[in-house]
Amino acid sequence: MKTEFLKSLLSSSGLSGFETPVTELIKEKWTSLTDGLSESSLGSLHGLKRGSGKESRPSMIIATHMDAIGLIVSKISGEFLHVANLGGIDIRVLPGQAVTLHSERGDLPGIIVQPPAHLLPEGEAKKAVALKHLLIDVGFSAREVARKIKIGDTVSFATEPTEMSGGLLAGHSLDNRASLAALTLCLEELQSREHIWDVWAAATVQEEIGHMGASTSAFQIRPDLAIAVDVTFAKGPGASNWETFDLGSGPTIGLGAVNHPFLHEQFKELAEKLEIPFSIEILPGRSGTDGDDLQTSAEGIPTIVISIPIRYMHTPVEVIATKDIQRTARLLTEFIAMLDADFLEKIVWDD
Amino acid sequence: MKDLIKKLTETISPSGYESVIREIITEEIKDFADEIHVDALGNLIARKGSGGKKIMLAAHMDEIGLIVNHVDENGFARFSPLGTFLPHTLVGARVRFLNGTYGVVGAEYLKPATQTKLAPLNKMFIDTGASSPKDSPVKIGDVAALERPFHDLGKRLIAKSMDNRISVVILIETMRKLKKTEHEVYFVFTTQEEVQVRGALTSAFGIAPEIGIAIDICPVGDTPDSAKKEVSLGKGVSIKIKDPLMIADPRIVNWMIKGAEKAKIPYQREVSSLGSTDARAIQVAGAGAMVGGISIPCRYVHSPSEMVDYDDVKNTVKLLIALLEKKIKL
Repeated sequence: MKTEFLKSLLSSSGLSGFETPVTELIKEKWTSLTDGLSESSLGSLHGLKRGSGKESRPSMIIATHMDAIGLIVSKISGEFLHVANLGGIDIRVLPGQAVTLHSERGDLPGIIVQPPAHLLPEGEAKKAVALKHLLIDVGFSAREVARKIKIGDTVSFATEPTEMSGGLLAGHSLDNRASLAALTLCLEELQSREHIWDVWAAATVQEEIGHMGASTSAFQIRPDLAIAVDVTFAKGPGASNWETFDLGSGPTIGLGAVNHPFLHEQFKELAEKLEIPFSIEILPGRSGTDGDDLQTSAEGIPTIVISIPIRYMHTPVEVIATKDIQRTARLLTEFIAMLDADFLEKIVWDD
Repeated sequence: MKDLIKKLTETISPSGYESVIREIITEEIKDFADEIHVDALGNLIARKGSGGKKIMLAAHMDEIGLIVNHVDENGFARFSPLGTFLPHTLVGARVRFLNGTYGVVGAEYLKPATQTKLAPLNKMFIDTGASSPKDSPVKIGDVAALERPFHDLGKRLIAKSMDNRISVVILIETMRKLKKTEHEVYFVFTTQEEVQVRGALTSAFGIAPEIGIAIDICPVGDTPDSAKKEVSLGKGVSIKIKDPLMIADPRIVNWMIKGAEKAKIPYQREVSSLGSTDARAIQVAGAGAMVGGISIPCRYVHSPSEMVDYDDVKNTVKLLIALLEKKIKL
């Protein structure tokens, strides 16, 4: 798989609520792949790929969130910066990480540090040190910090993407830019494929905060069908039970409240027919993805969640098997191409 | 403004029971709005101006309260909270019911071992002086709020329900002083913010603004052992960048900061780890809106004695006027 585009996304910040840098990269890529781009009031990017069906044809949204988890400066103490989290960050891996601080005057390299054990409150050093005790050091004197850094400046991981053996790729924000790469690959495949339905490719904002982009984009577009593509937990150290999936074992197809049973069956049959390996992901309640809010937007939308397994979620070294990105893209493309004009009538909630 | 602050903070009108406060506000604003209506959830919506940007300013008018869920055989009323209370500030507090009854919140610390522990809300009760359900002046479903007089300390003001009556006063004052605007501005006094920002969600859906601004109080980081947060009382209007449930739109944050700098109004940048506001609902109502928040720094939030700084209050009015008077480029 060509990984240039994905790696450019993984080298970008675009934290939740501050997605502009990554939006620009996606815009550039999607301009030639879609019939038009637009943005929602919250900043989600919508690319419309028109179908060949006759006017007032049905439409679908494929939502992949583009925001990444990160940190934001909440208080300045002399030379050091206190931070709050943007999204659910795994604090255990933070001390010692290289980060980039995005200030009004440009990007600054920095590191996350923890105070020595004897300076932490009693007992605190025996466990993962809470975010409120961690500090960012960018090397400035207190005077320079006061002059150049502001409350609200964002901080992203500086880890560059790394191609590893066995077709694996490591990097921060594979959650969920791996899915964006899959959707982009799907748009590329659709260039030479006939499809009846309109396809709205959506790079949504603020998923990590509460799926704000998904609910508002779905309300604005009012699609007839919704697919959320996100990442799920691959098996790895300390993650080996039934809720996890082998890395490189193909996408997962959601089953449970958020997932329309008919769409689940369709995706399963399609994957079997195409001999694309897949797993079924049991999502009994909320899925923790854009799917939760796509489903309940406006009058409600039949929704399915497709996920790609990754290791070490919400750390700067998330790991994915790139072949799963290709498989996910192919599954999406074939699903879109399969939809006929009266598919909607077949979507009946029959569990 | 202080008279109005006293009047509004001494009014009892908790979440879901906003008609008392709504009537008072309606009386105050009726001469300054082009159009006023009340929606299905009781939000008071007043429009001023037309053209330009469609802007929704929201200040919730409800306050935290208590609702009786049981009166026991000895006349003690048990209650459920309407909104979030801090148990340690509730024991010994006085309450007033919408029907005029006064009571005191009690709790027992019978065993020495538990004397240092806080009683949870479900172990507390309201004593209205009754000795049986029959002579109890309150019954299941009766609603009360904290009872405390307003105190003017000069620069600093103390009252119950500064959260969020102080912002209600700010919006009323802004309506009065805003002589002209190029925009279609909706001043919305929302309901049920303290019970999961319900009024703002429906009023924003109805209005469908391009820009939404919540005016609310924010906790501060300037008391002896407070959280790591930079906002202090009296150091200016707090411009919200983030709270735990909402990230303000950077375009709105920039517009507010530039507006404050141009008008030479002191401001503070707020990244908060506690609480959230109506902005969170306005952001996701319908197809969404660009939102931001303007906060009045406040100490002892959700206690019977919330403290704000009068200069911050006046500066907030100034900032709103400065922002609404001019063309908006985002």
